Amino acid sequence: MDSVYKAEGGSKAKLRNSLGALKTYPSVPIIVSLIIAFSSFSPYFLTAGNAESILAANSVVMIAAIGMTLVFLTGGIDLSISTVISASAVVAGTVMASTGSIALGSAAAVGVGLGFGLLNGFLIGYCGLTPFITTMGTQLIARGLAFVISQGIAVKGTPYALLDFGFYTLWGIPGVMLICIAILIVSIVGLSQTTWGRELMLFGSSRDSARYTGINTKKIELSVYMISGVLAGIAGMISIANLGNAIPGVGDTLLLIIIGGVVLGGTSMNGGEGSITRTILGVGILAILTNGLNLMGIPFYDQLIIQGILIFVGNGLAMKLSSNKR
Amino acid sequence: MPDLQAAPILSVKNLRKSFSGKTVVDDVSFDVYPGEIVALVGENGAGKSTTKNMLCGLLQPSSGEIFVAGAPVTQIKGLEHGISAVHQELSLFQSLSVAENMCITDLPGAKANVDWKQADRVAQEQLDFLGIEIDTKASVESLGAGKQQVVEIAKALLHADKLLILDEPTTSLTAPEREKLFVIMDRLREKGVAIIFISHFMDEVYRMSDKFIVLRDGKQVGNGYLKNVPRSKLEEMMVGRTIAESSIDIGIPTDVEAVRVQSLSSYDFHDVSFKVNKGEILGIAGLMGAGRTEVVESLFGIRKSEGEIYIHGQRVNKVSIAAMKKLGLCYVTEDRRGKGLFGIRPVKENISAADILRFVSRRIKGFGFRGESVEAQKIVKKMNVAIPHIDSQVNNLSGGNQQKVMLGRWLATQPNICILDEPTKGVDIGAKFDIHNMIAALAKSGVAVIIVSSDLPELLEVSHRITIMRTGHMVGEFQRDQFDSVKIISLAASSAFEQAH
Repeated sequence: MDSVYKAEGGSKAKLRNSLGALKTYPSVPIIVSLIIAFSSFSPYFLTAGNAESILAANSVVMIAAIGMTLVFLTGGIDLSISTVISASAVVAGTVMASTGSIALGSAAAVGVGLGFGLLNGFLIGYCGLTPFITTMGTQLIARGLAFVISQGIAVKGTPYALLDFGFYTLWGIPGVMLICIAILIVSIVGLSQTTWGRELMLFGSSRDSARYTGINTKKIELSVYMISGVLAGIAGMISIANLGNAIPGVGDTLLLIIIGGVVLGGTSMNGGEGSITRTILGVGILAILTNGLNLMGIPFYDQLIIQGILIFVGNGLAMKLSSNKR
Repeated sequence: MPDLQAAPILSVKNLRKSFSGKTVVDDVSFDVYPGEIVALVGENGAGKSTTKNMLCGLLQPSSGEIFVAGAPVTQIKGLEHGISAVHQELSLFQSLSVAENMCITDLPGAKANVDWKQADRVAQEQLDFLGIEIDTKASVESLGAGKQQVVEIAKALLHADKLLILDEPTTSLTAPEREKLFVIMDRLREKGVAIIFISHFMDEVYRMSDKFIVLRDGKQVGNGYLKNVPRSKLEEMMVGRTIAESSIDIGIPTDVEAVRVQSLSSYDFHDVSFKVNKGEILGIAGLMGAGRTEVVESLFGIRKSEGEIYIHGQRVNKVSIAAMKKLGLCYVTEDRRGKGLFGIRPVKENISAADILRFVSRRIKGFGFRGESVEAQKIVKKMNVAIPHIDSQVNNLSGGNQQKVMLGRWLATQPNICILDEPTKGVDIGAKFDIHNMIAALAKSGVAVIIVSSDLPELLEVSHRITIMRTGHMVGEFQRDQFDSVKIISLAASSAFEQAH
């Protein structure tokens, strides 16, 4: 039976359009209600100073979440992101401690991330290992590496220029967030405007169809894990600027926040559905939530419970709104 | 011998099944008596599987009456009514033993303390009853396909021993294994067990069955005693019209060679050779599993194969999807949902997928999709696709429109050799007509077309030439003026057994 297109009436069409926007960005209502709730609880919540601290505190998670989003869009997962952040921070810190060069430190951080990314991408794309198992392995390797190199203690000797950059702001936006914003723009454009981005989305929605259409599926998977690794490297470098030292376990606890942010934003773990913009909102929800609960004086472990519940609600809402029911 | 005094084991009247408004089986009525073998025949997609699933209780009929041993029932409950089925895909646990497999649904002894000796005894008795010698302790994976089939039958009869449904039981068997299976079927007949025998192989049907039921397009088009009906008559019933009256002008092929395949071989097919000229439509007929899809997928570089492929007279040394696309080939898969479409992506992305670069704005190479919607819209219009919007998910379209989207995607690459695998599978009649016209237009514009189809009337209508595959080999070829559906069917369906004679 051929589907017949029916012209929609005015008010109905409007309702449907706004529903369509909700389908794309299911996290918007959550963010709005959180902001309203917290600003009524704490007068400090809606201030420039607080906004600045939210932005600075979440640049590492945001950059890593971009990588995770790309991996999710292919239907994979990168569990190594968190500990690659730690490993590249430690390596970069060690390099900077002995050379004093920020450029060499950055190169080392990116190099470590690239190395782990290539390893993941090669094993998954070319050897056919599953993303979960592969990145679980590299997660352990990176974590071990971070502790072996640093011998378990923070690497001191960060160049002063990098420490200064950690406090730098432009028009109230922290310098580290500026880097994050630049990466966001590049990745949004790359995903939506290039053939690479298109092939990635198609691959994520059906890998068999992608192969039968002649898309180089191995190259897509390799590139995605590579980018995810490089972004983890950059995030590791930024963690040094934020914290002053390279901490061996700096990224280890971030994994669930990264995944939570991506999922809350409404990017599907099945691949082919989602966007970087959604992830900004998802990470934003968790950032605002943590900040607001801190301002309200809610203890850390109580916050975890609330975060957990919010992930159910957010994901449930995304599924409910998504027309793609399985 | 059938016992006609007794009540029929199973009797169905006006059985109908529809899925979401589409009727796939309609008006099927027949009786099965004890000790009878009833052949259920029809082409691919005629509704045999759906009928089978209703008879063994896997599917609930949409309407119709069912009588088990003379008593009306609303739904068949396999175990309770003594009806069991052995499906085409065997359902044994490969690593378990024969006895474990046979008794798995009803293990003797306590739940936490199974009496394995008793299980062995039960299995052994059942095998003895069927006159089969198989070690009950052997693991199923150590047995050949023939013995596995027999174990499956023994297991089925252990729980339900009045009516047995066998779905294509011989497709994976060797000739001696097949003979053994027939001996068992004869023995069951003597013991008063009724059998519904689904087979493509006409020689087997005639050798084993007492009665027949023919399905075509979901409707029962004939039933009765087999001895009164000659084979050609039965085949005619299955196919429908004898010769398709062609209503489409498919043009005249040129004598310029477009593609030539020479002794192509792989695990699934052997020594396959054919050629297609520009403007020619070659149909490849055969049963499911004959290796047709495997051949064309190898030609397009999806599967590995050995042999020579020539495109426009040039030997292709490195066969890959990318290389074949560059040479102007396209392949429209039979598995629309699994291997063709990107279900959750919009129509326009599905259309541009095979040639994304062509759809992006040209100012910067590979950057921006400004022209995509307009270009995709043109193709949608050309292909006569009915969609609400170019941005709607392709999942939401009907089968026919999905097929057109897939065809549109590949025609956008402007191919000069077009491979279509089951191009009208699951599409409605209107879309089928559109697609046939499109194929004819392609050929008339000089494109070489290869069509794999299980729908013989379709091949008869749109092909210049039909070649037939059976069990991985090419076994015959007909020019358009010699098309004979009955001959083609019998070539496609004769079994290895018949060949030997």
